[in-house]
Amino acid sequence: MAETDKCCNSREAKSTTMEERYTSKEAKSTTMEERYTSKEVCLFLSEYAVALLGCAATCIRLDRNVNRIATTFGKRVELFIMPRHIHMTVRNVDGDDTFTFISTVKPAPISFSLNTKLSQLSWHIADDSLSLDTARHRFETIMHSDKETPWVTLTLASFANASFCGIFGGDLVAMLIVLVATAIGFRLKQMMGGCHTDGRVIFLICAFISSVIGSAGFILSPEGTPSIAVGTSVLYLVPGIPFLNSFSDLLYRHYICAISRFTDAIILTACLSLGLCLGMRLMGVGMF
Amino acid sequence: MLIEIIKDALLAAMAAIGFGSISRVPVRSYIWCGLIAAIGHSVRFLLMDPDVLGMHIVGATGVASFLIGTMAVFISPLAKTPAEAYLFPALLPMIPGMYAYRSFAGLAMCLFGDTQEKFDIYFYRFAENGFICLAILFAMVICAIIPIFAFKSTAFTATR
Repeated sequence: MAETDKCCNSREAKSTTMEERYTSKEAKSTTMEERYTSKEVCLFLSEYAVALLGCAATCIRLDRNVNRIATTFGKRVELFIMPRHIHMTVRNVDGDDTFTFISTVKPAPISFSLNTKLSQLSWHIADDSLSLDTARHRFETIMHSDKETPWVTLTLASFANASFCGIFGGDLVAMLIVLVATAIGFRLKQMMGGCHTDGRVIFLICAFISSVIGSAGFILSPEGTPSIAVGTSVLYLVPGIPFLNSFSDLLYRHYICAISRFTDAIILTACLSLGLCLGMRLMGVGMF
Repeated sequence: MLIEIIKDALLAAMAAIGFGSISRVPVRSYIWCGLIAAIGHSVRFLLMDPDVLGMHIVGATGVASFLIGTMAVFISPLAKTPAEAYLFPALLPMIPGMYAYRSFAGLAMCLFGDTQEKFDIYFYRFAENGFICLAILFAMVICAIIPIFAFKSTAFTATR
């Protein structure tokens, strides 16, 4: 009997604690709503959204993360995601404090690492009820922590493309040629990217250089699989993520973003094909 | 046959890890990218094998992509990383890059086709490769993304 009482008491105590916690969460939300103006929240969310879209997040992820943060700060948000701009309106629940801001998406390299950290930040803000200042500080830290390791990427990308050559039936000589062609082409891509050269020009030149090196198989090992080597030497340039993101946006009915991303991917593929054709024509190698 | 499958799996894993590094996937996710790509690509290899099912590349890619998508969704909460971080690099070895640029090359070669016969050949190459490329892309992406939409609560709380 005493044990049952103890159990009941403990349950009651737990229930009271839960109630207190709930009340405290409600209170926190109310305080949050009162503490920050829509303008403050909107400016932070715009920066966050632009960074997330810039690192190639899908529209559905952007939509969910931004709404999660806005709800934590006691706000409602309306988003209009365009390929190069984000149009955002933040308002409080009553609708008497509204702020609209249009921010420009800066071209940035694809980064799933940044995407992961920014998504984690949205959950930290929601679960730990972070203040806007703390959230902004953590956001800045994340943005400065995302650094590339160029030589590691170069090595892994070269081996990846050589593996591609193997998947398509290339022999060992062909794989070695692709490894070298990718290493040189990818390094050039990194250097030109560092000089802020236009992406389309980078794709055209890198595809040209890689295909010229990839054609070496016709001289070194003509009886092997030189045509596979030259074909796969430019595959590291195929814009796979923009293609995949465009279809994801299409399914989520973000048609403008989907078409824009698809067009971007098509233009980059056209540039790499042109570079490849020029390289093959220079080396006198047939395409089909 | 078994050696061929293992070789295909290893090459696909290496390709996925390499392309993952280009897309700056978190380092802890490399192993998962490789594993998912290896399984997915091996499944496609088996489905397309004439001695097994002999499926068309579009159908086989669709089935393999669905498997990759499902694995990515359920692995993502374990590694606290969005499903896309595994999904997209794992799908990249199946991107029809060869078809895409053969299609553009066909279009470009149309310019050099000085006779109607040559033009017809290159235009046919452009259309044939372009259609296959688009069909593979549609099958791959739609089948891979279905699990994300079907298990939204799992997919979008992975980083919590």
